[in-house]
Amino acid sequence: MNVQVLDRELDRLEGLWEQGLSDTYRSYLETVSDREPQVQPKLALAAALIEVGIRLQGLGGHAAPATTLLMGDLCLARASRLLADNASQAVQVAFAKAIEGLSAAAASGKPGRPVRELLVHVFSATA
Amino acid sequence: MIAGRLQFETSHATEFVDVTKLVRQEVHRSGLRTGRVHLQSLHTTLGLAINENEPLLLRDFQRLLERLAPGDAGYEHDDFARRFEITIDEPVNGHAHCRQLLLTGFATLLIEEGELVLGRWQSVFAVELDGPRHRELAMQLDGDFVPLSPTGRGLGSRARAGTDSELIELELARQLMVDPDPVAVPMRRLMEAGGKRLRPKLVQLASQIGPRHDPLRAASLAAAVELLHNATLVHDDYVDESTHRRGRPTVAAAEGAERAIAVGDYYFAKATRLIAEIGNIGVTSTMADALEAICAAQIDDVALRGAFPGDHDSYLRVVRGKTAALFAASCASGALLSDAPTDVVEALRRFGDLLGVAFQMADDMVDFSPSSGKPVGLDIRQKVLSLPLIYAAEDRSVGPEVRRLLAGSLGDEEVGRVTALVTSSDALRRVGDEARGLVDAAVRELESIELDGLRPTLVGIARSAVDRTA
Repeated sequence: MNVQVLDRELDRLEGLWEQGLSDTYRSYLETVSDREPQVQPKLALAAALIEVGIRLQGLGGHAAPATTLLMGDLCLARASRLLADNASQAVQVAFAKAIEGLSAAAASGKPGRPVRELLVHVFSATA
Repeated sequence: MIAGRLQFETSHATEFVDVTKLVRQEVHRSGLRTGRVHLQSLHTTLGLAINENEPLLLRDFQRLLERLAPGDAGYEHDDFARRFEITIDEPVNGHAHCRQLLLTGFATLLIEEGELVLGRWQSVFAVELDGPRHRELAMQLDGDFVPLSPTGRGLGSRARAGTDSELIELELARQLMVDPDPVAVPMRRLMEAGGKRLRPKLVQLASQIGPRHDPLRAASLAAAVELLHNATLVHDDYVDESTHRRGRPTVAAAEGAERAIAVGDYYFAKATRLIAEIGNIGVTSTMADALEAICAAQIDDVALRGAFPGDHDSYLRVVRGKTAALFAASCASGALLSDAPTDVVEALRRFGDLLGVAFQMADDMVDFSPSSGKPVGLDIRQKVLSLPLIYAAEDRSVGPEVRRLLAGSLGDEEVGRVTALVTSSDALRRVGDEARGLVDAAVRELESIELDGLRPTLVGIARSAVDRTA
């Protein structure tokens, strides 16, 4: 997949891309292979950003330092924008609900479902 | 859940006040379809009872109470010589307290299909035992509420009074009611502590401009915007290490950083979901852009603390993202929601952007106002980007000392000195002038568009956002 289409979407996140976001992104590409070709990279990146963002923040674990938290926030916000611009309403809602569930579990001190498993399920449930 | 008070006057020493109609009205106004209404007497000589409203029967009840606890039986409670801390108007009412013991102070009534579930002969009584007096019953309604209707049916009593801000509060309460406690409780605490609700107000006003004004969809969007704003505050407070907001401990301070991150994420996600569920692509996209701008600006803000106090250009860049983006999005999305013409949407977007920057400047000035109710100098301690500080640092007379102090460690003494220097300089006047200039520019954006009578309200909001001390 040509990642040049993602240039704009990686603004400020280039460092993360080098540090593993690209691998996470690739792992989601297969999951979205049934979507319209032009939105596949955007959807895969949105999912990857959510996974990486949540990990950066330390959601459900130890709180990240302030600057890392903010980078995690930016990942989630970027993902939200990617979904707003490229995903159906059902996918947007399902992703938001997934994050709500993870956050509620974290706030309750309960173990949340693995993020990737959850997001892959969201894609399959909204196919 | 909706909470309130039922208030009434009694006119006799003992009196059965039928409050069924009052309770029923409150249920109708609340929009509660299925659930419960809880009543609690707030007095020790006022009981509650559910029975038949038949005058002779009520006299029977009264006589029963008099027989069981006669007024002249002699009560130790009425022996003032043996009691402490009695007031000058302490009533002789031992009998009333004892009679109350025979009744109850609580009642829970069921609601089905929007109506009180009462048997044919049942009425709800507040039983006065020591009247005449002014009395209050605490009331809480919980359960499933119908969506609010623009005609007023299904609205809570406060909302029916008709103002949009009450609709927002009701919608916020409704949204928080369904959330899990670990996230809802801290967010409710933050929301109940106050806040100006400027952003949702702008959403609602802008939503009245286009041809498809829908107050309920506007209230949903407005509430989502306020939740989003508060979600960002929860994370900001952790980042800034703030201990208090709106006079109460921050979520991070009260419940720890981990909980704060979870609460912020939950409401960030919930707000984006609520916005997506509205189903207006323009609105969704506008809000998503704003959220991204806020997060990016927050990163810039923290990065600039290394060059504290920064410069005017950096300040504007950060403030445009951190504060103005959501103001602009609130105005634009409200207009988009009602299908307002593009030129109107864009004019309102510019209005919101200018207003947001002006609002932040006014907020910066509040940090130097002893009457604000906030600790003076908080921005200095936290090294938050602040235009008065930037201007004071540029000032020919106080600038060198301000810069020297800000470059060092900032204890109470240094913060106090910086505050005094800023106040003594021309910085606050310059910021005030600039903020008012921005508001003037914002108001000019409204001149070329048709606003259907809303111009004075928008102008009023803009002016008051800057001319404030808190």
